[in-house]
Amino acid sequence: MPIPREIEFKGYALTSTDPAKWSDLHVVPIKPKNFGPNDVEVAITHCGVCGSDIHTLTGGWGTLSKLPLVVGHEIAGKVTRVGEAVEEFKVGDNVGVGAQIGSCGECRACKNGDENYCPKMIHTYNDFYPDGVETQGGYATGIRAHEQFVFKIPDGLSRRDAASMMCAGVTVFSPLKVNGCGPGKNVGVIGIGGLGHYAILFAKAMGATVYAFTRGTGKAEDSRRMGADYVINTEDPDFYKPLQGELDIIISTIDYFSPDRPLKMYLSMLFVHGKFVTCGLPDADNTLPPIHAFDVTMNGCYIGGTHMGSKREAEEMLKLAAEKGIKPWVEELPMSKAKDAVEGIKNGKARYRYVLKQDLVDYE
Amino acid sequence: MSTPEIEFKGYGITTTDPAKWSEFEVVPIKPKHFGPRDVDVAIKYCGVCGSDVHTLTGGWGSTPNVPLVVGHEIVGNVTRVGDAVTEFKPGDRVGVGAQIGSCGECRACKAGDENYCPKMIHTYNNFYPDGVLSQGGFSTGIRAHEQFVFKIPDGLELRDAATMTCAGLTVFSPLKVNGCGPGKTVGVIGIGGLGHYAILFAKAMGATVYAFSHSASKEADIQKMGADFVVSTHDPDYYQPLQGTIDIIISTIDHYSPDRPLKSYLSMLATHGRFITCGLPDADNPLPPVHPFDLTYNGCYIGGTHMGSKREAVEMLQLAADKGVKPWVQELPMSQAKQAIEGVKTGKARYRYVLKQDLVSYD
Repeated sequence: MPIPREIEFKGYALTSTDPAKWSDLHVVPIKPKNFGPNDVEVAITHCGVCGSDIHTLTGGWGTLSKLPLVVGHEIAGKVTRVGEAVEEFKVGDNVGVGAQIGSCGECRACKNGDENYCPKMIHTYNDFYPDGVETQGGYATGIRAHEQFVFKIPDGLSRRDAASMMCAGVTVFSPLKVNGCGPGKNVGVIGIGGLGHYAILFAKAMGATVYAFTRGTGKAEDSRRMGADYVINTEDPDFYKPLQGELDIIISTIDYFSPDRPLKMYLSMLFVHGKFVTCGLPDADNTLPPIHAFDVTMNGCYIGGTHMGSKREAEEMLKLAAEKGIKPWVEELPMSKAKDAVEGIKNGKARYRYVLKQDLVDYE
Repeated sequence: MSTPEIEFKGYGITTTDPAKWSEFEVVPIKPKHFGPRDVDVAIKYCGVCGSDVHTLTGGWGSTPNVPLVVGHEIVGNVTRVGDAVTEFKPGDRVGVGAQIGSCGECRACKAGDENYCPKMIHTYNNFYPDGVLSQGGFSTGIRAHEQFVFKIPDGLELRDAATMTCAGLTVFSPLKVNGCGPGKTVGVIGIGGLGHYAILFAKAMGATVYAFSHSASKEADIQKMGADFVVSTHDPDYYQPLQGTIDIIISTIDHYSPDRPLKSYLSMLATHGRFITCGLPDADNPLPPVHPFDLTYNGCYIGGTHMGSKREAVEMLQLAADKGVKPWVQELPMSQAKQAIEGVKTGKARYRYVLKQDLVSYD
């Protein structure tokens, strides 16, 4: 394929502060970060659509810093240029970029290889580099990123399939890994959307027994096909009762916590010292339902959070995906139809992740 | 020493009138039916625990069954053992904590985590399957299944071991489970009975300890307990310099105020750090609101803990004996239980009351 010498950076951006126009995206030129010796330039072929994109565009996560803003952080593409100090990548490599684009490299978290917990982390869009350049995301022709945040896509895994692993995949893979998912473990997944479907696929690939929790029966058959050993309908008010003390890890993708669903219901399904990890990040005004100390006492369980994943985890995940032939359930749309995709996410329509094919410049 | 048959009696409440929650009278106790795995303990001392207050006042949401004798920080000497008991013999110095029964068959019990058995029986105000009400240690004696009886090592005084069976174990277990040791940084919030033990044990386990207290008057004591740093929580920005520095926070907060968001504590945790609530507030006092963002930026956890297993109790007692861990206890005669329990309720203990059993002399 003709790999361009120079990328013309442009993308589909939010241009209006009118909340009613949150999904109207227009093509704008993008100013990428200033190219440095550790940077990698990627010609984007695919970008997944993430709940984060909606939370950001709608203002649900807080007022936007500066417009125009290009979102998208489930990026896959081909390397077109590498800085002098870059050894890991060469032009033509298939790579991905996720939700993080910078870290300090010096703090305790960075030194431990947990750069996704760096207090000075920079997000892939709607954030700023120290030199003032605003970060712009992947609904675009290209992105420039420090090599620490670029992940090689193994042979056997297509860019189309790898794209949404860059955020959705690693966001569930990381807590599965950190919390000991593996053979002999029982993993519950709450909410079978983009994140949830990946949690089933990866937990099975890691050898665990998987319980999928979904509202109603509409996704039950798909959940089984994804590999879930058990499917539980959470519309049954007593759904959690037969499962007291059964689960080691619960991956929650709940994106809106309703006060009439006390966390205690979920927590009671955990075995001793089990972990409930909230991967879903609701709007800023939506806290967890009230928790009493008793709710975590009777089984000594934990409620935890998680933030994306480190490069180490991303690479392990991609390797596992290639080896086990993990196929995400994606619906592809041209990038010019981003509006349909983001609205589809907001209305819970994705089955189970939208991936946008970049259509401003042909790199194929 | 001669070990006569125990005449089981204790200081109990006889009315559920909340105004009389601390009015004790001597009442006879009907112990559990003696079985082949049981051990009778002549009680010498019993510590006074926040649980005693929460139970007697009804704060934990259920009315006490009366007459009720509380107390679950028990030490004394074995007087009798069942035919199947091999670990103990009469005369042994032993302790009993907050749990007195478990099913023995569930996944938790089989893993040696009987303190998480869904069918656990608490040392007081709980019913045995045969209908006998469990009665606690403000009394002359207790009968317990050997799984819930812990030998006190030589070198550890009974008076000091008493409060370790609940307060000590309640903080030792989460310290152990969450990896306390050399190179780890532990924060302790609230320096009362539980909190002071968290400092003593975390130091004995080799960690660096930050003590967080609301009381300036405790600062000198806290230094003497061994805390490396003492932080006053009166300063509204106390947590700012400590962002991302602590591996384990042991919280002994007994009442959560909505104007103290959990986020300020959670932000002090290092990546994947753990905030463990050991304190169990009244039933109407939930944690302050938590947003997933509060957990996300450091991937931290809020956890709970429930007493400790026998395995953990034995390890703790041995550590205490080996390292000469000396709790800060104030001794009162058991007949002054009212004064002690009211002292706990009003935060007066420095740092744990221990009642000396005075109904029958076993010396």
